[in-house]
Amino acid sequence: MIEVSNLRKSFGKVKAVDGVSFTAQDGRITGLLGPNGAGKSTTLRVLYTAYKPDSGSAHIDKCDVTNETLKVRKSIGVLTHRAGIYERLTARENVRYFGELHGLSGKALNHRINHLASILEMDDFIDRRAKGFSQGQRTKVALARALVHNPRNVLLDEPTNGLDVMATRGLREVIKRLKDEGHCVLFSSHVMQEVAALCDEIVIIANGQVAAHGSPDQILEQSGEANLEDAFVQSIGSEEGLV
Amino acid sequence: MQLESQQISAFKGWWIILCKEVKDNLRDRRTLTTMGISIIIGPLLMFGFIWFAEKTVKEETDPVNAEPVKLAVVGSDHAPNLMAWLAQNNIEVTAAPSDPEQAIKDGQIRVALIIEQTYPQAFIDGKSAPIRLMYDSSITGLEQISYQTVRNALQGYSQQIAVLRLMARGISPEVLNPVQINTSDVSTPEARNAQILTMMPYLIIMFIMAGGMYLAIDTTAGEREKGSLEPLLTQPLRRHTVLIAKLAATMLFSALTFLFVLIGFSLAFNYAPIDSITLDVGWAKVATVFIFCLPFVFVASALMVLLAAYTKSYKEAQSYLSMIMLVPSLPLVMLTVLSPEPSTSNMWIPSLSQGLIIIETFKGEPIPGLLIALSVISSIAIAILITWLAIKLYQRERILG
Repeated sequence: MIEVSNLRKSFGKVKAVDGVSFTAQDGRITGLLGPNGAGKSTTLRVLYTAYKPDSGSAHIDKCDVTNETLKVRKSIGVLTHRAGIYERLTARENVRYFGELHGLSGKALNHRINHLASILEMDDFIDRRAKGFSQGQRTKVALARALVHNPRNVLLDEPTNGLDVMATRGLREVIKRLKDEGHCVLFSSHVMQEVAALCDEIVIIANGQVAAHGSPDQILEQSGEANLEDAFVQSIGSEEGLV
Repeated sequence: MQLESQQISAFKGWWIILCKEVKDNLRDRRTLTTMGISIIIGPLLMFGFIWFAEKTVKEETDPVNAEPVKLAVVGSDHAPNLMAWLAQNNIEVTAAPSDPEQAIKDGQIRVALIIEQTYPQAFIDGKSAPIRLMYDSSITGLEQISYQTVRNALQGYSQQIAVLRLMARGISPEVLNPVQINTSDVSTPEARNAQILTMMPYLIIMFIMAGGMYLAIDTTAGEREKGSLEPLLTQPLRRHTVLIAKLAATMLFSALTFLFVLIGFSLAFNYAPIDSITLDVGWAKVATVFIFCLPFVFVASALMVLLAAYTKSYKEAQSYLSMIMLVPSLPLVMLTVLSPEPSTSNMWIPSLSQGLIIIETFKGEPIPGLLIALSVISSIAIAILITWLAIKLYQRERILG
């Protein structure tokens, strides 16, 4: 479970995150939706302990992201914005590297990698060196790497970026599967349809603040619009009006 | 099966990252090429140059086999005996061009000899007979050899005539040498090669830097640019563990390159066909130099990792690191120019102290243990300071770019 309370983070004079609060439950998919530069990535970076917040707090499975970084890192799987993989290693070696850093080894680790390879449909290239992989293949390797230690909480920063239709569909299946297994999934996106299709819970972020929060139905209700896209535009537009 | 993340120790994390970096870079052709080249190019650069210089000088000055030196003579009719003497001394007399001075300036001929018209009469009268040797002193190197050869031959002739004239007058030719100058050279054969040795620290230190350079860039600036650093830093490890592992990998490759260069030099010293270098570089010397210069591997690697962590991209890192390679060579200039003896005032300086260790060890003149300890300790202390700075840099949020 991920709990974020009044989180703030500035870079110089720019307030990237300006008082964001929300909760992402286990067994649910929570989507951070917002235009580019809204503060989605910064929020995620604070959550996966890359940034320290200026104020406010964030807890993952009751562990504080600022003070208990190692515990937090153990319980999260992260797909970063530009998820680079090591080109001179095979896909399997890439995944195994991160597995070993989580204290996994031997048969258990190999078994886990094979399992992930079959779910993510990467059997054809699992033992090939990563140089020359397509964007879809790279994302799969990065995702397998993020999931190798079977983390309770999965944080994905714009996971469908650069993926084609088939790869996006595959990714959706994986995310749904994680939900069914009881994981807490939090992902960011600026693509409305994607969030609408997947999420149980939507957090709309604009200008570093939460513009709307709730299930898709609740958001429709709050905005009084007929469809999500209009609701999205309305909640962001009103924010910009305030500024 | 329920899988769970186990917290690993800092040491294990360090080891896993180190192993991954080593495997990753063993598959990188650039790192391997640098290492492979180091064993050949270092000695080849140095010995190739010396071998070529030695060979040329020998060929030019060999009295039996050398090509005759060409000498343009004006007025050769005035001095037939001198011409014969020159011919005996492997000097080929040729007809002079109409304007010998201009011909020398233009580089058509190297030396010209002008025998004045008064020469025969002065010679007969037993006076100093005037001849003039024309050459261009601004020309250096091998071109100078022909001037020297001609000058020596002329002085020899003058000397011989003097001796004959004194004997004809019943005076011992010894009066020409009131003082007999005898010299004896007590330098060891190793020390005589000191000039050649001053080149070695340059090459060795350059290769130490080059050996770790790609790793330093690849593991920090490169990883950040490719976007793999951020996922790595979200693993359950402290950031300094990650940095120290990457530093260790850089040091490992840097040290291996260093070892290869030393082996290359050692083989070259023992088997290269060069007469002027008679240096015995055994494995004991190689081991001594390797061990006592390892702290510089630490300094160089820490410096490169620090700089690579500071830069924003691979390209930027590459250009900065190429520049930083010059920094350790600056103290070495002092080594060539001043050739200082090892002392407490210079043995604390990284690169200079290692340069001195290299030279003195190869010369066979051991440096006092205390001075070596000074070099080792101060280099390690400086390296630790640089590492600390790099860790500070790694802990900034900006490292993610």
